[in-house]
Parts: sequence; C-alpha cells; structure tokens
Amino acid sequence: MNRRKAMVGILAVTGMGIAAFTTKKFFFGNPKVQRGQLRQHLSLITEMIDIIIPPTDTPGAKEAHVQDYILGYMEFCAPNKEYVNFLHGLYEVQDSCNNMYGANFEGCTMEEKNEILKDLDGSYSANDFINKIEVKLRGRSFFTILRSLTIEGYCTSKLGATELLAYQPIPTVYQAEINIQPTQKAWATR
Amino acid sequence: MEGQENIYHFDAIVVGSGISGGWAAKELTEGGLKTLVLERGRNVEHIKDYTTAAKHPWEFEHGTHLTQEELKERPIQSSHCNATDKHFYVKDSEHPYIQEKPFKWIRGYQVGGRSLTWGRQSYRLSDLDFEANRKDGHGVDWPIRYKDIKEWYDYVEEYVGISGAVNSLAHLPDGVFLPPIPMNAIEKHLEESIGKNYKDRMLINGRVANLTQPKKGRGPCMYRNLCSRGCPFSGYFSSNSTTLVDAFNSGNLTLRENAIVKEVVYDEASKKAQGVKIIDAITKEEITYYAKIIFLNASAIATASILLNSVSDSFPNGLGNSSLQIGHNLMDHVVNEGTYGTYNGLLDKYYVGRSPGTIYIPRFQNLDDKTKSTDFIRGYGIQGKGSRENWETKKTEGFGITLKEQLETPGKWKISLGGRGEVLPNYENRISLDYQNRDQWGLPLVKVHFEYGSNEIAMMEHMTKTSEEMLRKAGFENVGSYRTSPPPGSAVHEMGTVRMGRDPKTSVLNKYNQMHDVRNVFITDGSCMTSSACQNPSLTYMALTARACHYALNQLRSDLL
Repeated sequence: MNRRKAMVGILAVTGMGIAAFTTKKFFFGNPKVQRGQLRQHLSLITEMIDIIIPPTDTPGAKEAHVQDYILGYMEFCAPNKEYVNFLHGLYEVQDSCNNMYGANFEGCTMEEKNEILKDLDGSYSANDFINKIEVKLRGRSFFTILRSLTIEGYCTSKLGATELLAYQPIPTVYQAEINIQPTQKAWATR
Repeated sequence: MEGQENIYHFDAIVVGSGISGGWAAKELTEGGLKTLVLERGRNVEHIKDYTTAAKHPWEFEHGTHLTQEELKERPIQSSHCNATDKHFYVKDSEHPYIQEKPFKWIRGYQVGGRSLTWGRQSYRLSDLDFEANRKDGHGVDWPIRYKDIKEWYDYVEEYVGISGAVNSLAHLPDGVFLPPIPMNAIEKHLEESIGKNYKDRMLINGRVANLTQPKKGRGPCMYRNLCSRGCPFSGYFSSNSTTLVDAFNSGNLTLRENAIVKEVVYDEASKKAQGVKIIDAITKEEITYYAKIIFLNASAIATASILLNSVSDSFPNGLGNSSLQIGHNLMDHVVNEGTYGTYNGLLDKYYVGRSPGTIYIPRFQNLDDKTKSTDFIRGYGIQGKGSRENWETKKTEGFGITLKEQLETPGKWKISLGGRGEVLPNYENRISLDYQNRDQWGLPLVKVHFEYGSNEIAMMEHMTKTSEEMLRKAGFENVGSYRTSPPPGSAVHEMGTVRMGRDPKTSVLNKYNQMHDVRNVFITDGSCMTSSACQNPSLTYMALTARACHYALNQLRSDLL
C-alpha cells in the first residue's frame, strides 16, 4: 500500500511534476540543458535495461551493451525534451527507491526492482489520444524512452540480432512465400 | 599549345552525372564524342566509396539516427536520409535555397547524383499521358507521342534491367522485363481481393531497376534491401555502376568533379552556346570549357537556375528563354499521408530475403468514360509493400521474458500503401533566382514558389480514402492513415521547368529536347517534362536522353549543329 502510494508519487512527478518543473522552458523555446550528465547514471540504466530484456537462454540487454547505445543516443541524438525527461526520470527512480526501500535501485532486491518497473510500465496512459498530446507537448515519457531504446538497442546489437532474432546480412535469394517453421524467429531487419 | 587547348576543348559537355547525365555520357562517348562530364559534387567511385554498404546494424554508432548536430545541418534532407546513407545527401547548411512556400528540394551532390539513392521504380508513360495536356487544356501539348519514345524505352530497359511482369495495360505499357520480384503472401492476398472486389483496377508487381538476373557482369540482386547505401553487387541501376563505367571504357570520357556550373556561355556571332563556365567548388577558381554541343542534366531546379543565370545580349532573361517559360511549370508528384493496416491471418507464411521491390496499383481513374472521376482530372497510382511486423513495427507490452518472447516471434502481416499522383503544369509554380542572397560561391540562391492546386488536393484525399477502402475490403484491421501529408517536393520528382513543346513561344525545347532558341543545347533531365503523369519519371528521362543523344549525334554528323 505504501509502495503503491509512493509510486503514484513517482508517476505524478515523472508525468505532471516534470512539466511543472520545466513548464516555463517548454513554453518559452527550447529547454537548455547541459548534456553529458548521463554517464554518472550508467549503472542505474544498466540495471534497469537488464530487467526489461533479461538474460535467458539468449543474452540480456546488459551483455549486449545496450546501456552504451542508450547513452550515446541520449547524449547525441535525443531532442532536448527527451533528454530532460530521461534525466529527471532517472533521478526520480532513485528518489523513490530510497523513500520506499531505503536503498537506491541498484541496491534493491530483484523483487523490488521488478515491482518498480511494473509500476513505471503501467504509468503511460492507456488512452492513445491523451498520450499523443502529451508526447507532442512534453516529449516521450521516461519509461517509454527507456523501454523503446532498450528494444531498439538490443535488436540492432550483434547479440540481439543474431541470437534472439534471425539475421541474414546477405540473403542472396528472395523466397517470397515460405511455410513457417515452429522455431522460426522474426527477422532482425526489414 | 595543342595539348593545353585539349584540356578545355571537347566535342560535348554534359552537366550532371545523375541518372540522365550518366546516359548522356554513355551515348555521346560511345558515339565517338570526346565528352566532358561536369559534376558539382565529390567523386563517388563505384563500390569503393559505398562506405556503409557492408555494415551491420550494430556497426552504426547510433543505429539509423542522425545526431542533433547532423539534423541541424540537414533540416530538409533529414526526412529522406538517415545515418546509413546521409553521405549521399547534401547538407542544407552548405547548400541553402529559399522556400517561398514549403518545398523539399532533396539533393545528392556527387558523381552519380540521386541515381545512387533513387527508388528504382520504372514505369513507361503512355498516350494517355502524352495527350493529356492537349485534351484538358492544362499546360501545352507534348511534342511527342508514345510511338516516338517506345523504341527508346525498349533500348534503355534492355540495358538497365527492369524486373516486372507483363500486365497488358494500355495506359501502363509493358516493357523489356527481367522476371518480376514475386509477391509475398499478404501481397498476393491483396492482389486477389482487389481482383475480386474491383473491376476497374488491379494490383501488379512493382517494376523496379533491381536485377533479378545477372546482366553484363552486374548483379543479381542479393535481396538485402539496402540500395540507398550503394550496392557492392551492382544489384540495382545507378550511373556509377553502369553508364559512367561504359562511358569511361569508351576512352572518350573526362569526368570533372567539384565543378559547379555557373553559366552556359553564348556566342552572339554563331548563335550557339560556346561552352560552360564553372566554379571549382574547392578552389573557387572560374574555368570555361568549350564544346560543340551541351547537354544539361543537372536536375529540374538546377538546370533551370543555370539557364536563368546565363544572361547575354540576346538572352537577357536567361539562355534560350524567349518564351519566358524557364523556371515555370514546376511539378512534383503529389503523395498522400500513407495508409496501413494489419491482417490477422496467413500466420503460417513468411519469407526469406528482403525485397527491394514493391507492389503497384496502376492508375484507375479517368482512363475512359467509365472511370471518370467527378473530383479531379488525370490520376494517381498506388505503391505499397507488405511484410510481417518485427520489433521495429510491432506493438509490444510489458518487459522481461514476456517482452523477449514478443520480440522473438514474427508479428502480424502489415501492408503500407502510398499514392503518387499527377501534378498539373501551372505557370505560377516556379523557381527563380534571388540575386540579393548568394551562396558561398557567389551564385544567386534558388527561390522556389510551389503550391498544390485544388486538383492535387482532391486527388490526395481520394488516394487516402480508396487505399483505406481497399484494405478494409481485403479484411485488414487497424486500417488508418498518417495524418500529416508530406510537403511538396517529397516525392523527389521535381520536373517541368524547361518544358518541351511544339511552339517556341510557349515552350523551351523541341521534340528532340533541343532548345528552340539555341540549337546546340539539349536538356533531358526532369526539367524537360511537359506534364508529370503519375508514373515515377526516371525511366522516361533515360529514354528521352538516349533519344536526344542519337539525334544530336546524327545532326553533328550532318554538320547541322
């Protein structure tokens, strides 16, 4: 019950709270934010992505170095809005962990970590329309960014593309129609 | 002395090395002319300079994403390129132009031009297209008909290698085809459904310049579907892999890169063009090259701007511009937002390899009285592609092992459709030169003024509506269309600015793409187009170029130029 409440707190902060914090910036031109701040959160990012895509009989996101991909994307490619959202999201995850469990994310038990991700995952609006407006106004939310970059980074990594998925660099032929095998994996590339 | 002179004197000059310039180079050099090809950008050597072609997805630092810095340099081009092929697109920051209304001018300044990154769709025009202007009064009449160009379509298709199927459609003539790229299960499903539900239209294999069989040491296609990076297997047609190679092998080609053409130099005494003045892109030195004939193949907007900047006593409004039509009648193809849908079935079917081709629904409006539209004149075709969703397109939920399972399995079938419609020639749609604003070489900036008319807008709405309807009738779910339509120019089919016509008072080029006013200048890039039709235009540029080259060679032999 307490945990729930605290997480609702996170959600409010990650959603509306950030907006309040940065509203002015969002409405008066591009928010200026200092890049280069994410490396110090690398261990948190790494821990989180390895829960999003954990090691099983195929490698997890951490082994595929997805944390480096995310770092690179956020520092060099992300729009400012997303950078701000992402950075604040990381701080808030740690704050909430400390409030709820008395430890930062890395120090939490696997069960606690899973609970936190579950709540973050449920945080994005089920309403597509409201979601779209939110994204347009404020950029993608923290967990949306983290989750989709984890998928992208993993599926384009060597381990992800060749072990979880099927990757053919040079198909040489095009068989337009084959009967699928039960073990058929999805193609890594289109 | 003589040796020195040879550096600057040629039989022919070709401006531009893209898809039509490459053809001019090949035909003229093989016809025995010492030919100088001028390219404003850098050299791109076939295979060697396809620096990303062999890279795996994980070898790009940020996947396909451009960095914020790269985006800032490419506010316009970035909608058409990504990290894997950005080096074949210009930086807008280095090559500015003025948009009076939004118009995307997508450019590739390098040897091979946009033939490296083109969509490879290759369709013939027919008399439905060549007669359209005369019948409905828009623009001027084409000076040619299908019978004038048919053998030249045959000629270039045989060389290029177009994969396609014979469909026996009068308004989309069959050509010299390699075997088509086959349709996958969902594409066949839509083909059958359209055949069943509609009498007026059919779905066919897209006709693409990808080699389904080897040709003259090129190809075949390896089905990587990474064409825009340049193909190390020469699996698709580009100037670099074909025409320029043959031109070089003729022994008659001189290729000069980094040569920005400033103007065509006119000789008042002979009433002919003498040569071309260039600015070296790097040293900024001005040099004049001389030749008996000149082919302009710089692409529609650039060719018009060169002519407008070529001012002389006889032509104060630009070379060969007594009609005052140069720069006007700019056209592109109108493209809609794009429609998609998923299909809950055929889940036992998949494919191996990645098709570089498409499916195509040829124009089915205003072909005859029965197909007459009340909303618009002329028409559009629809291109599409079907595939099964993977991690890029699939909507996944949750995290952990369940997420991995969702990523691992092939998703539903999905089809995307996009219309390509004819844009009417309109004098008001134009490019001009702004002498108050200049680029780093001191050349006036190009100013583009372009707006869709009501016909284009009606067509755009219609293509979205019919695309959605066809998918619904075929049992697709989640059918929808993207809500923002791409700005004009997005089809990268700009054309019409130096049009062909019968009357020198209302057109710039005659039926052999020769300037009415200056008989030794030929223009065979997109600027020559009298109307836009709705077919992807490159094949027509190639056929017109080969045809004009043979005409010019004959004229030269008869001493008429």
